[in-house]
Amino acid sequence: MRKMIVLVLGGLIIAGFALGITGCGSKEEVMAEPVDDTGIIEETEAISHGDVELYDQPEDIVYIETHQFGEIHFDFDQYRIRPVDEAVLEDAAGWLKDNAGVRMLIEGHCDERGTNEYNMALGEQRALAARRYLIGLGIAAERISTISYGEERPLDPRSTEDAWGKNRRGHFVISE
Amino acid sequence: MFLRRVPARTVFVSALSLVLLAAFASPAPAPEVRLSISKAFGEKVMIALAPFEADEGGVVDAEEVLGVIAFDLKASGYFSFVENRQFLDELEADDRASGRIDFQEWMTLGGEVLIKGAVTVTPNEFSVEGRVYDLGQGRPIFGRRYSGPVDDWRAAVHDLSDDIVRQLTGEAGFAGSKIAYVSNVTGTKEIYIMDYDGANRRRITRDSSIAMYPDWFPDETGIVYTRYRGRRQETYRVSPSGGEPVRLTSFPGLNAFAAVSPRGNELLMSLSRDGNPEIYRLTAAGGDPRRLTYSRSTESSPCWSPDGRRVAFVSDRSGSPQIYVMSATGGNPERITYQGTYNTSPDWSPRGDLVAYITRHEGIFQICTVDVSTKEVVRLTTGSGHKEDPSWAPDGRHLVYTQKQGGKSDLYLLDIYDLEPVRLTSGTGDYLSPAWSQ
Repeated sequence: MRKMIVLVLGGLIIAGFALGITGCGSKEEVMAEPVDDTGIIEETEAISHGDVELYDQPEDIVYIETHQFGEIHFDFDQYRIRPVDEAVLEDAAGWLKDNAGVRMLIEGHCDERGTNEYNMALGEQRALAARRYLIGLGIAAERISTISYGEERPLDPRSTEDAWGKNRRGHFVISE
Repeated sequence: MFLRRVPARTVFVSALSLVLLAAFASPAPAPEVRLSISKAFGEKVMIALAPFEADEGGVVDAEEVLGVIAFDLKASGYFSFVENRQFLDELEADDRASGRIDFQEWMTLGGEVLIKGAVTVTPNEFSVEGRVYDLGQGRPIFGRRYSGPVDDWRAAVHDLSDDIVRQLTGEAGFAGSKIAYVSNVTGTKEIYIMDYDGANRRRITRDSSIAMYPDWFPDETGIVYTRYRGRRQETYRVSPSGGEPVRLTSFPGLNAFAAVSPRGNELLMSLSRDGNPEIYRLTAAGGDPRRLTYSRSTESSPCWSPDGRRVAFVSDRSGSPQIYVMSATGGNPERITYQGTYNTSPDWSPRGDLVAYITRHEGIFQICTVDVSTKEVVRLTTGSGHKEDPSWAPDGRHLVYTQKQGGKSDLYLLDIYDLEPVRLTSGTGDYLSPAWSQ
């Protein structure tokens, strides 16, 4: 019996030692390596995420509503550009090419379902998806800015499928 | 998934020495005396809270003071109370008539601790005096007097409550803490502060915009928050006493979810300045952004571990929003939530062991905790009404959160062991996005 105890104790001590040597403590880590992800919701083109695509958004720009472009809409919990909305984006790209000095701001919005916090991020992803699409059509990245309003500014405050569909939108404004 | 955790820790109070303070306590704190009661975790100490002496018709009456103390002691989670008001009134009357405390009689009410006191209000000063007795031993534990301006009387009473908690349990109380939150009572979302018990609500910002996601700097020295200015989303710092907010960030795109580091010298944020929402680490002034995550997916809602060495955040890299933990210098994140398809809004307990978060459960948002090491999940809330934005109290045992019900949002307090929500706000308007000061 005593031999058993000694063996077990010895085994535990060795195991504990081994764990200690392999290092349960945290390592000092420097800047992160880019992570190559799989299983992501959508594949996108246009911007390589290995490059840091910084752009500037000068503060003195005044954006105004324009009624020349429609809005684009999104499926629930998605930020994928739907094929039916591509025409609107092509319209916008065409107009931007004809009006070289003008900048555009894309607003991303969500319906009220989902948490307030996550909807802010989702709204931004919607605006960014539209931005990527326009860049893919040849518009210079620094001409297009994004802003998310999450679920803060619904077009239709009701809690119906119809209202929710309207609220999940990308909206375009242009600089003066 | 609904399991109750029972930690091995016990609430342990021990007698050290015998001290009796005179009715007017000396300014210097006296040596501490504690109860010789050992409580297993979850057992509560029963308190007989006697009516306090007070002058008639004061600006602040004794009933109100007692109500604050009772709320504080109950909220701490350690105490239960003798309920019979008539007996409490009678025994107190007898003591005042006889000029002494009849411990034997008090013990018949079932309490283990007796609290007596007095309230004095003059035009310039409010003071409350508390005297705490161990009924089992029939002797005083401590007595102290707290004074302050009349218009801040609740602060003095909260000080007494915190000292009672400290004396009887050895733990720090949180009765003096504050909650910052968002409300739209003025018609637009602004930042407000209130006492943790819902009193003394006051507006801090006047931006007439949409203000969101407040978070505290340590020692209540400031509040960081997000707002829109024109068509930009920006982050600001404002003093809890109000005044002109100072801008911290105005990057292109997302400037959201600023989380202040435990030492107050840094922020975590979600920014989309490089074309995708990612987690960044910045100075407390909003400068020197260092990117921590590199993923095509959405990275948001970062929060710090209490030792400042790790970060919990939300990522949908697996296809749905889940909670991840990584080193605060970046590196491979580890996923910590595996139940449910929508897990967001993490907040890391000051004790370091648990992360509170929101899960979508059968279509309703509920609050859960996950043990960072074991990944064990406990769901804390039930019932209809979406819950959002959990924020930990300094004790790592209580949470404040938003609950949407009947078309409006209110703030609730929850003890993660007792699981009985207490509503903190009422009245018109929505109350949401709370942050508990540490």
